[in-house]
Amino acid sequence: MNSYVPILVLGALSLGFAVFSIAAGHLTGPRRFNRAKLDAYECGIEPTPQPVGGGRFPVKYYLTAMLFIIFDIEIVFLYPWAVSFDALGMFGLVEMGLFILTLLVVYAYVWRRGGLEWD
Amino acid sequence: MNAVLLASPEVRGFGADPWWLVLGKAVVIFVFLVLMTLFTILAERRVVARMQHRIGPNRVGPFGLLQSLADGIKLALKEDIIPKAAHKAVFVLAPILSTAPAFMAFAVIPFGPEVSVFGERTHLQLTDLPVAVLYILAVASVGIYGIVLAGWSSGSTYPLLGSLRSTAQLISYEVAMGLSFVGVFLYAGSMSTSEIVAAQGDYWYAVLLFPSFAIYVISMVGETNRAPFDLAEAEGELVGGFHTEYSSLKFALFFLAEYVNMVTVSALATTLFLGGWRAPWPLSLWEGANQDWWPVLWFTAKVLLFLFVFIWLRGTLPRLRYDQFMKLGWKVLIPVAIGWLLMVATVRALNTEYDFDARQVLIYGGIAAAVLIGLTFVWDFVAARSRNAEPPEVTAEWDPMAGGHPVPPLPGQQRPQLTVAGTTAGSTTQTEDHP
Amino acid sequence: MSSTATVLAAATDTGTGEAVTFWVLGPLAVLAALGMLASKKAVHSALLLALTMLSLAVLYLAQDAPFLGVVQVVVYTGAVMMLFLFVLMLVGVDSADSLVETLRGQRVAAVLGAVGFGALLVFALGDAVVTNEGLDQANSEGNVEGLANLIFARYVFAFEVTSALLITAAIGAMVLAHRERHLPKITQRDLSVQRFRGGQYPAPLPSPGVYARHNAVDTPALLPDGTPADASVSRVLAARGDVRSIPEQASTTAIERAAPRREDDGS
Repeated sequence: MNSYVPILVLGALSLGFAVFSIAAGHLTGPRRFNRAKLDAYECGIEPTPQPVGGGRFPVKYYLTAMLFIIFDIEIVFLYPWAVSFDALGMFGLVEMGLFILTLLVVYAYVWRRGGLEWD
Repeated sequence: MNAVLLASPEVRGFGADPWWLVLGKAVVIFVFLVLMTLFTILAERRVVARMQHRIGPNRVGPFGLLQSLADGIKLALKEDIIPKAAHKAVFVLAPILSTAPAFMAFAVIPFGPEVSVFGERTHLQLTDLPVAVLYILAVASVGIYGIVLAGWSSGSTYPLLGSLRSTAQLISYEVAMGLSFVGVFLYAGSMSTSEIVAAQGDYWYAVLLFPSFAIYVISMVGETNRAPFDLAEAEGELVGGFHTEYSSLKFALFFLAEYVNMVTVSALATTLFLGGWRAPWPLSLWEGANQDWWPVLWFTAKVLLFLFVFIWLRGTLPRLRYDQFMKLGWKVLIPVAIGWLLMVATVRALNTEYDFDARQVLIYGGIAAAVLIGLTFVWDFVAARSRNAEPPEVTAEWDPMAGGHPVPPLPGQQRPQLTVAGTTAGSTTQTEDHP
Repeated sequence: MSSTATVLAAATDTGTGEAVTFWVLGPLAVLAALGMLASKKAVHSALLLALTMLSLAVLYLAQDAPFLGVVQVVVYTGAVMMLFLFVLMLVGVDSADSLVETLRGQRVAAVLGAVGFGALLVFALGDAVVTNEGLDQANSEGNVEGLANLIFARYVFAFEVTSALLITAAIGAMVLAHRERHLPKITQRDLSVQRFRGGQYPAPLPSPGVYARHNAVDTPALLPDGTPADASVSRVLAARGDVRSIPEQASTTAIERAAPRREDDGS
């Protein structure tokens, strides 16, 4: 528990600084109302009206994002494996090799089907 | 209770500082990071200016040293605008969420070995965890939320696009970054930063695991949204990206977070690959180089080296196009990282199990790599020759609308005789005679 | 100290720090989870989920499971980010949940899943209570090493099966989100050639708002005779029905303004 206290101290310090800055910025800055200032910025023209309900947004890399989670989980398994690699020995290498190979199959499949192409 | 404390998973020698030391260290780290930020902003402007044959800011204070401070004060005196369409609570929360984790990541970075402060033996490191590097990764990914939420809560198109891009950036480069660490953990047998530095007594991992180092350096630029990977705030396309709608000190906080993150990833690179606070080679021959307070100097010098690389990249490289950027992350860095990781693991396992000489493997591997690189040169040469062998066909006839575009005549092509409707052939020849 | 005493000490003693952490973060996690279920906006739900997961992570850290705690943050920040994207992509930036069920038998499956998970939880907790190993033993070689020994030696099979789960996830994403490309990709060069060869208008389209009363992108430019130029407004806005109609008056003034000038030019 004691190792975490310093992190909390540093966190509190930086959090305090950030909150203080925002509060200070609120006080030190001038305040002159202008309707145009409160509009969304679109290079000086009047902002494009947003569709009612927000509208959908085509996120084209959804598939890549899914692949990211898969690799993230792989990494989470890789770290303890790497730390006690010497203790696990050859057996550890083989089982992790199998695991990585299975994920490489997914990777190759997605790549081959064009999931990593960017349009 | 005693037994529980003993069993608690802590790195030896940490977590026993008196409260005033903890507070002092935290304040010093905070001040160090703020000063580094002010310095790096100025250094960036001066160095990039030099690269572009300009002088850069040199008016405020000696050599312009107070320029960043003056800019900060100017920002504080600007109006703090919250747009009408913004989601207010999240809009205010986002800069805080971006700044605090940036500082917190530095808690586990070792500045130096054990020293004596007012009679108290302590490590020059705020704290250490058995999962320190993973902790930095976790804190950094919380920090990305600041950017994503800033973009979403602004209620405006450009910031939303910028934040979506930064998400893509995170997912494309964090995997490569995470994979590049595995080699280090494999050799160090630990994820604690102080133990990784201790394990680099003989060789720095930048030498031993050079591909890991290269992958880390590339992906650290991607993770911090810096040029040439600064697509989340591409000025030419997205105005200011995720922070378009931010003004005053909220904007300053994003700026601060970006530079603190740069310092953090540089410090992590130093710790994992460049031997942390250890003195570089010729200096390490001197006995006292790795003792007392000297290491702080080596550590800072190495971090500054990385920061210079950041600035250098910004001064040199144009921004990547989006598809190139995604391609580099997914089709180059990740496969290379996985291949290298498997190789390292195999060599290591052979080494420990069968007492196999790793150096031999590395030498043969190096020779094979050199031969491969040589072959690519040969290939380029042959390909270039076969391309040169057949020069592009130039027809003598000039087609002024070749391919649908109006084009000028190529060398060797002749301008056809112009015939104007209604004139006879004879008059055309006359025009030719008297140009 | 004998091992049973240690186990008992570990089981019963809760440090003040840990107690405070629990009583602060426990309610926070529960409230955030409830808020996630109750909130109408999908983006809010995603954010509250992130808060729940972060609170849980800190609780794991407080209970001397540093690896689990940190991994919780790493994995769930990524996962929640995905949810965020999913919301933007499929539901809409600001829209509320639709309460229409599209999957048949969804409720039955959900109840079965919940019961199964509950049973698993009860058995796992019961097992942990009955065969109490104690923190000392679990962390005797270090937290990370202890985990590695369990995952890569005792539960190898479960570990390998995880990869099958990940494959399923990837293929699911492919099915949901991937659109197969049947035609070759149209490059910038193709488009350029098409524009010139096709004999269409090759120059850039007129910008919106020219001669009109507003310079917004949803206001069409006015032609010299006062009629709106349709090509000056994005097709997306036109399809959405967001194009601002030109008030009668504006167009007439434009004509009036344009008309004398034309006479001037003529004379």
